[in-house]
Amino acid sequence: MSRWSRFVNVLRPGRLQDELDDEQRFHIEARADELEAEGLSRADALARASRQFGNRLILRETSRDVKLLPWLESIWRDLRLGARMLRKDAGVSAAAAISLALAIGACVAAFSLIDALILRELPVRDPARLVYLSRASNNRDLRFSALYSYPLLNWMRQHVSPHMEVFSMSHQSLRQAILPDAGGVEEKLLTQFVSGNAFDVLGVMPAIGRMLQPSDDVTPGAHQVAVVSHAFWARRLGADPNVLGAWIQVEQRPYQIVGVAEPGFSGAQPGVLTDVWLPNMMFNRESLEAPNWNWLQVWGRLASGETLQTVQAIAQTAFANFEDDESVGKDGARAAGSRLELRSAASGYSQVRQEFQRPLLTLAAIVGLVLLIACSNVANLLLARGAARTREMALRASIGAGRGRLLQQVLIESAVLTLTATALALVISRTAVPFIVRMLTTNENPVYLDTRIDWRVLGFVSLVGCFTTVLFGIVPALRASAAGPGEVVALGDRGHTAKAGVARSLVAAQVAFSLMILFVAALLMRSFDRLMAVDLGFRPEHVTLLTVETRDRLEPEKGREMVRQLLDRMESLPAVESASLSGWALFRGYSNGNNVALPDGRRAQTFRLDVSPQFFRTMRIAVLDGREFEATDSNATNPMPVIVNDMFVRTYFHGERAVGQRLTTTRGGQAFAYQIVGVVAGAHDGSVRGEMNPFLFTPISDPAGTIQIRSPVDPKTLADRVRQELPRIHPSLRLVDVTLQTSLVGNTLLRERLLAVLSGFFAALGLVLAAVGLYGVLSYAVIRRTREIGIRLALGAQAGAVVRAVAGRVVLAVMVGGVLGLAGGLYFARFVETLLFEIQAVSLLSIALPLFSLLIVAAVATWAPLRRAIRVDPAEALRNE
Amino acid sequence: MARSDALQGSLPMLILKILARRGAMHGYAITTQIETFSSEVLRVEEGSLYPALHRLEESRLVKARWAVTTKNRRARVYEITAAGRRHLEAEEKRWRKVTLAVGQLLQRI
Repeated sequence: MSRWSRFVNVLRPGRLQDELDDEQRFHIEARADELEAEGLSRADALARASRQFGNRLILRETSRDVKLLPWLESIWRDLRLGARMLRKDAGVSAAAAISLALAIGACVAAFSLIDALILRELPVRDPARLVYLSRASNNRDLRFSALYSYPLLNWMRQHVSPHMEVFSMSHQSLRQAILPDAGGVEEKLLTQFVSGNAFDVLGVMPAIGRMLQPSDDVTPGAHQVAVVSHAFWARRLGADPNVLGAWIQVEQRPYQIVGVAEPGFSGAQPGVLTDVWLPNMMFNRESLEAPNWNWLQVWGRLASGETLQTVQAIAQTAFANFEDDESVGKDGARAAGSRLELRSAASGYSQVRQEFQRPLLTLAAIVGLVLLIACSNVANLLLARGAARTREMALRASIGAGRGRLLQQVLIESAVLTLTATALALVISRTAVPFIVRMLTTNENPVYLDTRIDWRVLGFVSLVGCFTTVLFGIVPALRASAAGPGEVVALGDRGHTAKAGVARSLVAAQVAFSLMILFVAALLMRSFDRLMAVDLGFRPEHVTLLTVETRDRLEPEKGREMVRQLLDRMESLPAVESASLSGWALFRGYSNGNNVALPDGRRAQTFRLDVSPQFFRTMRIAVLDGREFEATDSNATNPMPVIVNDMFVRTYFHGERAVGQRLTTTRGGQAFAYQIVGVVAGAHDGSVRGEMNPFLFTPISDPAGTIQIRSPVDPKTLADRVRQELPRIHPSLRLVDVTLQTSLVGNTLLRERLLAVLSGFFAALGLVLAAVGLYGVLSYAVIRRTREIGIRLALGAQAGAVVRAVAGRVVLAVMVGGVLGLAGGLYFARFVETLLFEIQAVSLLSIALPLFSLLIVAAVATWAPLRRAIRVDPAEALRNE
Repeated sequence: MARSDALQGSLPMLILKILARRGAMHGYAITTQIETFSSEVLRVEEGSLYPALHRLEESRLVKARWAVTTKNRRARVYEITAAGRRHLEAEEKRWRKVTLAVGQLLQRI
């Protein structure tokens, strides 16, 4: 019989049955014919023939067993049996399935995120040969470390060229745009400036039209062409092929759409989905000449025959020469102590990845541990259930079921559980992944990750499923299948001791794993707590930030007048405590460096921000000496009144009084003086973790900036009022962004928040699972030893002795698990140390805290079973036997 | 199948031998053939022939097809395969050896 027909037989057992019946019937009828010929009546002949034939049913079953691929059928039977067993203990099974599903779901979610962000290669030609320039810097703020200036790009092009094809992609940012059919309605699109050869070198083809090419990137400001991503084309342009040649407006400048990129390619920066690509030449014209304006990532494709190391050496030399080259015209603000590195860009470069790689891997490790806890839990459950079924197993063994057959039955039961859990897990991960991606997303940096279920995810799921099944199923299966026929008769405590030993090891493992998670989670949560408690130097609460832009270039005098009017209007709005304007908001992520000469001629590095009067009052930054800006302060006077912060004074004046001192700088090639009129307290900008930096504040002369309004009124109402006021001041003023100062600060702590929230959740989950495991093992021990406890109590044993007898070894297991868990936690903590803020991984508190929580949970979990143990009624216990 | 007396155990070999000598035939015909040589083999149940036949079929020593008899009944007809013939030859050899050995053993005791 062919394999196919065997399958058919298994799936359609009825047909086989009919054939066997027919064959038997033919035999009996033929025999009856013969008997009839010998003179018997038909009825007698049939009866006798049938008798001679034997037990038709048993014979048919035997043939059937012969014919069906036996294991295939037995698997199906075991599947149904497994499902029945699970249904029998519906509550316990559901608990097991849910804990497994949560753990597997978390693993799958972690995998999808890691796959999308880290593992998956770029959908471009030969991604393994792509590299990007990275700066290993002493600067702890890594955000801008992979961004370079346009002059550097050109320099690299000239000096590394034959060894590597150099191209660039800018940092993506949201820009105001008007789509062809939008009737002038603005929306924000993620745009990226690329060098003309970028797509060619990457090997990205157009779906329709053409990609950008080198001839689109020659003359500054002259190439008004754009390529859109396939996803954007499908989502916002209705996948209309006639869109080629249409005009799209980005930041008030029209661009003609010349092509749509091939589907699948949405930029080389995983985590960010680019909508529109524009040529470098269309970026701010000044940037093309500015060696300190770092706005693009420099990429390259290694020429064939070149290795990363050889090209890196060449690039490093070129970079050093660039830094030293005076003719480039840098005004001395080069990043000190930075070293160039080439990194593989096979799976792209992304700031999202830079920021979230370690947190995600940490979470993956944590969910892996949760999975182990869940597995031990389910293994314990199956063990306990297996113990209850020793009689059944022994019976089956005695009627000839082989050990393999019993093993199969128990493993399939486990597989049924895993299958249920995995289906649930997929649903859970589908909900969890978007939730996590949303946690990573801010208004300014929308994070997009391609995390749909594909064969990679499904492959991972099946792998985890198999792994899980074996992990929690194998021990119970081996134990159950070890049941010899002898155990049918002798069913005392014999054989249980070994099982209890396995159960206790599992408890120890669970305790160890959950303590590891607790340890790390406690560190992460305490660290986040510390970060939230950092005194920023200003009060972000109740400050609404409104970003304003102008279409026209304004004369400085006109601009200053408008700033005055703007602030007057804002302050006169109802319920506004105070209002101010600055070049950009604190924590926006922008920074501007300035190089000044101190009175004694030394040079000083400082950050600089243009601010209006009332800025320090609005932000609640204390004025330590001198005064705030006033309406009469202008950046046009020489000397210009400036305010410095405490850090500046401490770094450069060493306790000397700063107010009244003069600083000098160059402006447009001319010497220019700053007169310090005030000193304010230091404030954090850009990073809660980092040090406060020296700051120099100058009077603002341009209304295009960010308005700060301190007011209890909600941002939307404020925005509506401001939107009404703006045209009255100047027709070209418009509101482009509204946010809260607290969200800007919060956005810089996304990583830490993500880690704290999720690790806290998983620590709690792990703890609950471990507690359930502990409870289960103890309860089982009490039930199993009820008779013994009864006898002990009858003989006058004290409750303490009973507790010791029942719980002694389990407590030992918990202690062993605790020690192992602490060791594991300390080891694990080294991996997250760089994520911690002002928290010592190894300290009394970091050890005591998780240990203490574990002890409490363990006490709660053991309370009920132990109480049951000491309340055993000796008479009742003995009567049951 | 738990039964393992010598004759019952020789059933598959007998079936193969009959099919090898007489060509294709259905189960009932095989039964009558066996009866003509020995009333012992199928003493208990005639039907026990069938699981034996099906086992041979599973091992591809015989092949089966449905055929219509002269009385217009559907019957399953069995035929020995080449593998069946080889197997039969080997089994016969082995069987002879065993009986010889047992015979010698019995004489010596």
